[in-house]
Amino acid sequence: MTTMEPDTETPSRKRVLCIEDEHFISELYVRALTKAGYEVDVQLDGIKGLAAAQTDTYDIILLDLMIPGATGIEVLRVLRDPTKTPKLRAKIIITTNLEQRDDARADIEQQADGYIVKAEITPHELVAFLSHLDG
Amino acid sequence: MGYFQNFIRQFRARLFLVIFINNALILADWYIVDRVVRLTGWWALAAIIAAPLLTLGIIPWLSTRTLTQPTKFLWQAIMHIAPSTAGDVPAPKPEQLHLGRELVTNLISQLYQLASVVQGVEKTNVKAAQDLHINFVANSLPLPLLALDKEDKIIYANESAAKYLGAPATDLTGQNVYTALDMSFMSNDTLNSWLTATKGKSVTADRRWERVRIGLPGQHGGLQFDLAAHYNQDNPTGYETLLVLFDHTKAYSEDDQALGFIAMGVHELRTPLTLLRGYIEVFDEEIGPGLDPEMQRFMRQMDASARQLTALVDNIQNVAKIEDNQLTLQLHEEPWPEMIEAAVSDMRLRAGVRGITIKTDIAQDLPTAGVDHYSIYELLANLLDNAIKYSKEKDEILVSAKLNTDGLIETSVSDHGAGIDGSILPYIFDKFYRNHRNRAQIGGTGLGLYLAKTIVEAHNGNIWVTSKQGEGSTFTFTVVPYNKLEETSKASGNTNITRSAHGWIKNHSLYRN
Repeated sequence: MTTMEPDTETPSRKRVLCIEDEHFISELYVRALTKAGYEVDVQLDGIKGLAAAQTDTYDIILLDLMIPGATGIEVLRVLRDPTKTPKLRAKIIITTNLEQRDDARADIEQQADGYIVKAEITPHELVAFLSHLDG
Repeated sequence: MGYFQNFIRQFRARLFLVIFINNALILADWYIVDRVVRLTGWWALAAIIAAPLLTLGIIPWLSTRTLTQPTKFLWQAIMHIAPSTAGDVPAPKPEQLHLGRELVTNLISQLYQLASVVQGVEKTNVKAAQDLHINFVANSLPLPLLALDKEDKIIYANESAAKYLGAPATDLTGQNVYTALDMSFMSNDTLNSWLTATKGKSVTADRRWERVRIGLPGQHGGLQFDLAAHYNQDNPTGYETLLVLFDHTKAYSEDDQALGFIAMGVHELRTPLTLLRGYIEVFDEEIGPGLDPEMQRFMRQMDASARQLTALVDNIQNVAKIEDNQLTLQLHEEPWPEMIEAAVSDMRLRAGVRGITIKTDIAQDLPTAGVDHYSIYELLANLLDNAIKYSKEKDEILVSAKLNTDGLIETSVSDHGAGIDGSILPYIFDKFYRNHRNRAQIGGTGLGLYLAKTIVEAHNGNIWVTSKQGEGSTFTFTVVPYNKLEETSKASGNTNITRSAHGWIKNHSLYRN
């Protein structure tokens, strides 16, 4: 007879990669996301962030655009280029405070699965946003 | 030539007749003396000499009148039209003439023609002198000057206008002013709308506009002018409308650059604001429930203030974008009640801090709207923010929406606040305009309503305000239902219609709708 393992003991918690160089912001996000049941890894720059993302062990990638190493846009481009990265299962959400030209923003939105202006949402609202993502 | 030959023939015939008569008389005299009277000696000699002497006296006297008559008529004609004696001498009547009537009639008519040509030349010279005068003044004027006719066609452009517009004056004349000048105004109150209204009811009128943009090929953002217009119905010169442009490009673009600079600085507030709101949320969630009511109120006040500051940053960023012509709309099909609810629920916290309640009254059967999600949210947030600012504590704000008789979705935000003085109503949508009397008590950048108007107009909607002092204000705007959006836009862009929101209202009706 098989029994369902309790959720808390299986690694079925959704994994989030947060590529964000602003320590205080990632701290708040980690706090809110962990409380909501996510498992969160933080990377502080674009190169390490890209390497982590390419392991394809995450469900959600939060990608800041203004990060050292490689910019978020460069990371996004590599992750979405089939010759450089096999198709990821993760949803990529752009998190930024950068003021974009609207056409540039539309371009990024097409490649990413979501776009968030950090100043406009609280960590709690970020959790709500992620819970609405498909899958 | 025929008249002259004729005249010579007539003249010769008359001369021949006179000489013939003369000779005949002399011969007859000689015959009478010799054969009839038979005079001899000295008597005969005296009689023969007397006859030619007699005819010499009489015949020239008689014939001269006839022979010189044509000359007299010509003299009369010349004296009649000569400037010094004009009016003293009557006009000749060549039909009374016997000799050379045709020639003289012809000569006189030529004379009169010449005279009228001279007169015409004289008049043209006077006008040319006047034109030269006007031209000199207009071309020395260091301001672009244009004159329009009844149909708003350019009939005169001075050198300065040609220089600014980069086209020779001759190319400008004949063009419709709205075609020749790519003008954009700050509001719907454009040259076109003013002229249309003025032509119906005024004989003369003057008007001045600030910050009129004129797009020129190869000039990013164009030049910015103040425009002054003078209208004079049925002006005899044909110059019905005069336009003078004052170039303020430098001053105005410095303003805009300042705004761009502020926007850049304000951007730096976003990270601290993100953090501030994050920490407030953590405190509120984790220690909020245990706090006493006063501390809880402070917490809410702190959260509301952080949100207000975030909205202010967004407004400045957006206006800077509009000025740089970079705000674009993505028109999607959106359920309208949800759009309103999203903005209202976000603003409830701010309202609640001052005990203000926001109620909604949304018609059941509203169609979906074709709007840009982000900017409509900002529009509603700005109108609600405005209503909250001007409301008294414990007031109620009502947001209502219905389908109006034109088939547009009409949304109103009403407050019961101080209301707006009638004298400032026309300006409240202007950039940087603020109610001066309230400046001390009520904060703001003067950008919120300008942004609201720009967003509504970019959606092809209208926004207006009704207000009674002491009773409150109602801001109403329209948006287009999704099924009414241009079929062509829908066909080409699927459900995703992009439209530029340049924040400047094109003058020409072609650009509207």
